[in-house]
Amino acid sequence: MVAEQHAIETFSLTKVFPDWWGRAKVVAVDDLNLKIRHNEIYGFLGPNGSGKTTTLKMLLNLLHPTRGYALVLGGSTADPAVSRRIGYLPEESYLYPYLSARETLDFYGRLFNLPARVRESRIEALLEMVGLMGMANRHVGTFSKGMARRIGLAQALINDPELLILDEPTSGMDPIGTRQIKDLLLHLARRGKTILLCSHLLADVEDVCDRIGILYGGRMQVEGAVDSLLQQSDRCQIVSGPLSPQTLDRIRQIIAEEQTDCDISTPMERLEQYFIQIVTRAQAEARPTSGAVNTMKIGGFLAEEAAPQEPGVLETLVGKSIEPTTRGDADLESVQAEPTPPAAPAEPEDRDLLDDLTRAAATLPTTESGPPSPQEPGEEEMTERPTARPEDQPVETVRQDILEALTGGAGSQAADADGTTEMARPDEPEEDERA
Amino acid sequence: MHRVWAVARNTISQGIRMRVAAVVIVLLLVLLPLMGLTAVGDRTLLGRLQTFVSYGLSLTSLLLCLLTVFVAVYTVTDDIKRHHIFLVVCKPIRRYQIVLGKLLGVVALDAMLLAAFGAIIYGLAWGMLYTADAPEPQVRQARQEFFTSRVRLDTKIDMDHLQAQILQEYNRLKSEGRIPEGMTRQRALGILRSEALNIAKSVPPGYAKEWTFQNVRVSDPNTPLFVRYKLRALPSPVDDQVFSQWRVGDFRTRDATGRLTGNAVPRYVVRRDPLRTFVELSVPSSAVADDGYVAVAYFNDPSRNACTVIPEEVQLLYRSGTFTGNFLRALLMIFSRLLFLAAVGVCVSTWLSFPVAILICMAAFVTGTVNGFIVDSLDLVEGALSLLYTFTIKPLLWLLPKFDGDYNPTRFIVEGRAIGWGFLGQVYLTTGLIKAGLLVLLGVLIFHQRELAKTAV
Repeated sequence: MVAEQHAIETFSLTKVFPDWWGRAKVVAVDDLNLKIRHNEIYGFLGPNGSGKTTTLKMLLNLLHPTRGYALVLGGSTADPAVSRRIGYLPEESYLYPYLSARETLDFYGRLFNLPARVRESRIEALLEMVGLMGMANRHVGTFSKGMARRIGLAQALINDPELLILDEPTSGMDPIGTRQIKDLLLHLARRGKTILLCSHLLADVEDVCDRIGILYGGRMQVEGAVDSLLQQSDRCQIVSGPLSPQTLDRIRQIIAEEQTDCDISTPMERLEQYFIQIVTRAQAEARPTSGAVNTMKIGGFLAEEAAPQEPGVLETLVGKSIEPTTRGDADLESVQAEPTPPAAPAEPEDRDLLDDLTRAAATLPTTESGPPSPQEPGEEEMTERPTARPEDQPVETVRQDILEALTGGAGSQAADADGTTEMARPDEPEEDERA
Repeated sequence: MHRVWAVARNTISQGIRMRVAAVVIVLLLVLLPLMGLTAVGDRTLLGRLQTFVSYGLSLTSLLLCLLTVFVAVYTVTDDIKRHHIFLVVCKPIRRYQIVLGKLLGVVALDAMLLAAFGAIIYGLAWGMLYTADAPEPQVRQARQEFFTSRVRLDTKIDMDHLQAQILQEYNRLKSEGRIPEGMTRQRALGILRSEALNIAKSVPPGYAKEWTFQNVRVSDPNTPLFVRYKLRALPSPVDDQVFSQWRVGDFRTRDATGRLTGNAVPRYVVRRDPLRTFVELSVPSSAVADDGYVAVAYFNDPSRNACTVIPEEVQLLYRSGTFTGNFLRALLMIFSRLLFLAAVGVCVSTWLSFPVAILICMAAFVTGTVNGFIVDSLDLVEGALSLLYTFTIKPLLWLLPKFDGDYNPTRFIVEGRAIGWGFLGQVYLTTGLIKAGLLVLLGVLIFHQRELAKTAV
């Protein structure tokens, strides 16, 4: 099927918002040709007002394109046959404040026409997974943003979607929740799902996405695999275990003999720099944007300040107990680290899950070296991109997994709960094998 | 259907949690029993019951109408404004199912509240009957004239015949040159018509007037017939009362000796009646002939009255069902209003913001309440203006329901008068199905087309 080659495909998708008189006022999305393959995690990036959310809204039939059209899973999302295979988490959770967490999931489950038994078992599994089992009967209106986000994510997963469209899934989430979501996304991708991820948190995107596209002024500025976009062949990175100061001195000597500079520290985010470069270039070309025009200033400012000494977003949020890691795979290698105390003592039900997740963190100093590049004055470090994620897991196993976890086909809630809890665990056998 | 019901359930939850709903519920819970305790009426038991039920049903209807409008408008506009709708439309549900679900939710909420408050009014009314410390005749009167469901037969003046007479008279006067200068034909005819009507209705001293009713089918022969009337007198007596001499029965055939030959048992009643207020006269149903014929005659006895008596709106009532059944139909009548208002609310909310939608719904409700009055006034407009109205306001008024006149169930209950199933069916067909249906269809079409995430720039 030609139409089904891509999970999402847009053809010259354009959205112009007219003013009150009907004159074209803002070109939010301009001639966008997005192609998202099946079973990939696609990172959709761009500054505020670049048209990301507008694109999503067009994909979801919340807005009509001015020109062009979009195919989602080979059809339109207005068609229930298509929308039943999609999970969507909007930029804010938009939940009914008067429903409890359980009622919320029940409501959305009913919209999918799920049989009562399946619905119930999935609700239990999802509440367990997002760590809100203890608050299942509390009104969503009393939830903090992060908690609402978790319920939002749970509702997006209630139909075991083939395609997951997530708009800022980690906004408002605590660092552990963020980790959890990233691991979940990787896990879902391994199970054959396609994920469209819109995010400003570039570290998140970098951690999980196969491919990214950067949008500015409604136009795609650049698109490609994360690895190839970010690779810098004139630099070299060595990742090692803990080294003594003497060893480090010797390494510095050796590198000095090679007539090149070196900098030894823990790895940092790099996508920020790249992102800002793209946006700066686009702004230099004076592309029109309906978004914040001062993005460049903020971007430039951030680029300058994003020195290696500064902790990354994740580090700052996680605090001392969790050292930064680069990507999902790196985290997974270090699963054996000691568990950290649960970050949310108010949620004792989460403890096991949280422990599992935080166990992923470990101290991992890396040594980096490379010639200083004139345009990036020394603060940028290169990390060798880890190998691809295990997408080559047999699909059949994955399907079985899904069935057991979500349809309750095995006829037991225990199976459901197990299956879904597994999703949240980074220390799964599959990952260990790969590591 | 499951999906429609899921949306409906959610709408009910939303409605119940609205403050307006809480206010309406508390207000009714407090006011209804209070009204039951304080209703006075004309100090008879019947009067108290009529006052209580009249105010109770009207208040319930009014508050539920307002609540319906608020819930219907709020549930749609708030979902759109706060973007809750995003998470609903991206699920496998058609947009028309969302609109229907919203409507169903509001209507189901209405049904629950109406049933609850209807039951309270019903219970309080019976409670008043059993706990009242009233003399036996008053209790019997309340049972016969209130806790019942009676068919009402109206008398009509033969207007075609009257019109012909008026024209004839006008032409005669015109040919004799007795129509004053400058008086239009319309005005002259109007004067003649009111004169003729007065003459047709009035009974001067020494005269009698008879009204006949066909097809009077009293189901239970033990229940009485009621003649309901209102009298005027010219000139008005000092004590505002006149003597009435009534006879009810079949007076069509008599034998040679002048005796009635029909099998109906005639009744003769002499009494004093107050003026300008409806009174009822009860006679055994044996006064009706086998073929359902019965005649009611009024004789103005010159030995007792010196004035001309004008009996207005002489009606015949007889029992046709139970109070419970009739009360249920009255609630269904109120429910048809709620159904319509819910449809208006949901329809306009699919494309308008909360304040504008509320305004339109309120306009629809108020217009519905005085619809009959407006239509009657417009009928009086003549000439070119009338043509304008016929093509502009009248179709709009047709689209709106009628809540007044015969469409007001309170009047039926107060009179102990039956609301026919046929009439109820007709109301549901026009208001519930055609008018509300058109509105819902419009709402669905708009909702289907509109961009829910529209950003105003």
